[in-house]
Amino acid sequence: MKPSRVTIRSYQVGFGDCFLFSVHYDNGDSRHVLIDFGSTGLPEGVPKTRLKAIAKDIQTVTGNKLTAVVATHRHKDHISGFATNEAGTASGDIIAKLQPDLVIQPWTEDPELEETATAPRARRGRKNLSSAARHVRTLWAMQQVAAQVWAEAKRSRSLRPEMRAMLGFLGENNVKNLSAVKNLMTMSKNKKKNKYVHAGTSSGLEKLLPGVNVDVLGPPTVEQHEEVGTQTSWDNDEFWVRLAAADRTSPPSGMSAKPLFPKHVVNREKYRFPVNARWFIYRAKRLRGEQMLRIVTMLDDALNNTSVILLFRVGGKSFLFPGDAQIENWEYALAQSNVRKLLKSVDVYKVGHHGSRNATPKTLWNLFEHRSADKHDAHRLTSLLSTMAGKHGREDNSSEVPRKTLVSKLERESTHFTTQNLAANDLCFQVTFDL
Amino acid sequence: MKNVLGTRHGLRTNRSLTIIAQDPSFQIDNKILRATIEVPAEELSPGPSGYRVSVIDYDATANVLYAPLELNSGLDENYPDPFADKSDQELLDNPGFHAQNAYAIVMRILARFELALGRRVAWGSSGHQLHVAPHAFAEPNAFYSREDRALFFGYFEGVLDGRKTSQTVFTSLAHDVVAHETTHALLDGLRQRYLEPSSPDQAAFHEGFADIAALLSVLSLDAIVRAVLDGKPDDRLIDARFLTPEALIDSSLMSLAKEMGQELSGIRGSALRQSLKLEPGHDYMNDEAFQEEHRRGEILVAAMLRSFLDIWVARLQRVGTISRGKKDRSLVVEEGAKAADHLLTMAIRAIDYCPPVDLTFSAYLSALLTVDREVVPDDRYGYREALLRNFASYGIAPSSSADVDGTWRRSDRDMVYSRTHFDSMLRDEEEMFRFVWENRRALELGEVGYIEVQSVRPSTRIAPDGFVLRETIAEYVQMLTLQAQELKDLGVDIPDGLDHWRNVTLFGGGTLVFDEYGQLKYQIANHLLNSEADIGRQSQRIAHLWESGFYADPAVAASRFAELHMARAMADRVSL
Ligand SMILES: [Zn+2]
Ligand SMILES: [Zn+2]
Repeated sequence: MKPSRVTIRSYQVGFGDCFLFSVHYDNGDSRHVLIDFGSTGLPEGVPKTRLKAIAKDIQTVTGNKLTAVVATHRHKDHISGFATNEAGTASGDIIAKLQPDLVIQPWTEDPELEETATAPRARRGRKNLSSAARHVRTLWAMQQVAAQVWAEAKRSRSLRPEMRAMLGFLGENNVKNLSAVKNLMTMSKNKKKNKYVHAGTSSGLEKLLPGVNVDVLGPPTVEQHEEVGTQTSWDNDEFWVRLAAADRTSPPSGMSAKPLFPKHVVNREKYRFPVNARWFIYRAKRLRGEQMLRIVTMLDDALNNTSVILLFRVGGKSFLFPGDAQIENWEYALAQSNVRKLLKSVDVYKVGHHGSRNATPKTLWNLFEHRSADKHDAHRLTSLLSTMAGKHGREDNSSEVPRKTLVSKLERESTHFTTQNLAANDLCFQVTFDL
Repeated sequence: MKNVLGTRHGLRTNRSLTIIAQDPSFQIDNKILRATIEVPAEELSPGPSGYRVSVIDYDATANVLYAPLELNSGLDENYPDPFADKSDQELLDNPGFHAQNAYAIVMRILARFELALGRRVAWGSSGHQLHVAPHAFAEPNAFYSREDRALFFGYFEGVLDGRKTSQTVFTSLAHDVVAHETTHALLDGLRQRYLEPSSPDQAAFHEGFADIAALLSVLSLDAIVRAVLDGKPDDRLIDARFLTPEALIDSSLMSLAKEMGQELSGIRGSALRQSLKLEPGHDYMNDEAFQEEHRRGEILVAAMLRSFLDIWVARLQRVGTISRGKKDRSLVVEEGAKAADHLLTMAIRAIDYCPPVDLTFSAYLSALLTVDREVVPDDRYGYREALLRNFASYGIAPSSSADVDGTWRRSDRDMVYSRTHFDSMLRDEEEMFRFVWENRRALELGEVGYIEVQSVRPSTRIAPDGFVLRETIAEYVQMLTLQAQELKDLGVDIPDGLDHWRNVTLFGGGTLVFDEYGQLKYQIANHLLNSEADIGRQSQRIAHLWESGFYADPAVAASRFAELHMARAMADRVSL
């Protein structure tokens, strides 16, 4: 059997990713790979039951069988659809019933690694950890911090509404999504069918997808990362572990924080602070908001950089799915000459991180040889974007997602599809590539 | 004239306050080591809020304000120290004491700067009073914010080494943390362009200098020196074999490093500990691993600490031996604290002799040497020798434009003085600018670029002969904005990938030191593009900015820089 056609369904999940990559063979057979399934916010008019509707659509389209599931990284907007419920009726339960033969996740999700990394002794810094486990411990700590920031943002009455919205979004997106994580770990029944990959490892997909080559371009391991000489501020493992343990005031969400010195608190008249202190209090509150935002942004970037980057090559066409990988993840791949060569001939590009400014490095974009301003160019690059404006980042510092300058570049130099053009009742758009 | 007390005597100038000598984990016999320090007496309102510092105990995480501490008025006859007799637990449990601790240390550092420079020293932020928040938020972090005119001190849950239960750690109770952040605010007031992106040295300098000031401030307390000396604080004598630089590192500084930041370990890898790990005799300056700004700052700290030990030991030569190779402990302690205090004065004074832009460690060393030569021309105490030797052992040589002895060259050019009035030049930036303008040729300012006088400041200090030495320090800055392609024509290297149409600003500038007769004594300058060395400096600066992503995208450049600072603040907690 030979591949004859590839279809990609890009589901409308608002801010999030959900792609169904299907290879159709000349004998009528089809194999399906689900790449991410999550959302952190739906556009107006889209029913709240959207994720379940998508799961059912996937069930129908695939004829009750998924070949593989790829969860590029553990952000809510990529995995919330895998969440289950007790009744077994959630979108994640439906997906689990499609019995994927393989579940691909980044190496940082390896449960064995997580176990060593987050054992109490490791948390207290009383245990020598491998660099991989240390990294996983950092990520674990970061997620704790995200939960704290989210709680603080929720209970805070002093943040500006836009700041609260941004903090709420990033905080929630970075909080560990327990049931989805567990479902991904167990849905393939056979533990051996869980693959935790890093740059250069085999994906395990070739055997399941005859005639398709799949390269894992990212994420790099810590050793690979150090090889290219990158050291980022967020990779500061002790700091995050301490930060995670630092917040003594964080109460269950919704309640107000306990003061350090209850007997010394100044009583406020009608909630007003004393006149002399007001200017400073205003500044301190603002600063606190900015500071929390920077912290959760760092967490967000760190998790994005654990994204699995997959390159599918089938029948002379190549399809790039980089998850939310940002520059630090890409750097490793882009430093390899053989990878750069492969990337030149990309035909279909799933735009990284919903179109943010850091996820489509110039060095990557400039490699794509099929970029073309000519709309009638038969070999023109295709770009697929799943995003929702007004959720992530802000225009005043050019961090808005999707980044306007990037979108205009995509529109100019590729055949561009975006979920933003879908109507509220459209489930997805499908693009077909004949081989 | 009578004062408010109805007498003709002057008001008292100092107030003594109890502080925690280093931090609550630094204990002797299970008791927190304390110190009583002198701070300038002043009129205070609740806070304490004085003429330069205003403590506002607002906690942004809990959104509560704690009651201000009321110290009695500076106009009263006596200033009782409210926490002198309180138990350790009472100190820890009372936010008022935390306010006092932070207030006293900030004021002490400020007074130290003012004494060293012989004038009032402004904060880097606008306004006269710097806000201090002793419990600003639940986060293992402390920093200076120019925009918010404030020092923020966080608190967090921490586990002490060897203990099971966690306890709240207050960064406002750590002497070195408070001194470090205060130094950032003062250095920013003296040289506002040092926070701008430039060379790895300049970025590292803010951190390194703040660490040096903090460590020397801690070491200038008798109580600390006595406690760490050889572990026998109660003996009257001390064996001289403990008093070599090597032995002092092993005993005193190592044990101080161990004590310091026990509860903050992991967050602050302790500047002291990190610096002590750097063995001399290696060219750290050109070592790949020390290009990153936080690591680079450690080089400066290490060179200064080793110099401190040499100076201490040299001072001890003058302390007689009492019996069988033993010296009087009190004198040894006193000399140590004095050496720290003296070196701190030099370290601060040297800032006046540094160029206003693109500072390098080499230039700072030349400034240190010059400061010392002004005071002790014959180097009879061997300070310059100690500095030169120790800095060299870490790969730091004096500036290439300095004299053979490493000090700045005296200006020997003929200047036009007739068009300016020195008495108004002393305080008037317009008049100073006229001087600069009339002498632009003699000062080698070149033909292009925008010039601005940034500050004119008097400096008064007492020379060893008891006479008052007056100087005037002025800073001018030159700016030249060109397209990248134009720079190429000037010989400046443009990094691969930098768009040729991109605007790039080059900086130059100098510090002018005038003697008491209004004659120019020194011009300590980084010229824009006068020499090959200048062109090399500009190339390096642009390459560094390019690598740190400064030019990545014009629209994001500004926010990128904010993020760089955040990254630095984050790492601060690791290197602080
Ligand atoms: Zn995402
Ligand atoms: Zn993400």
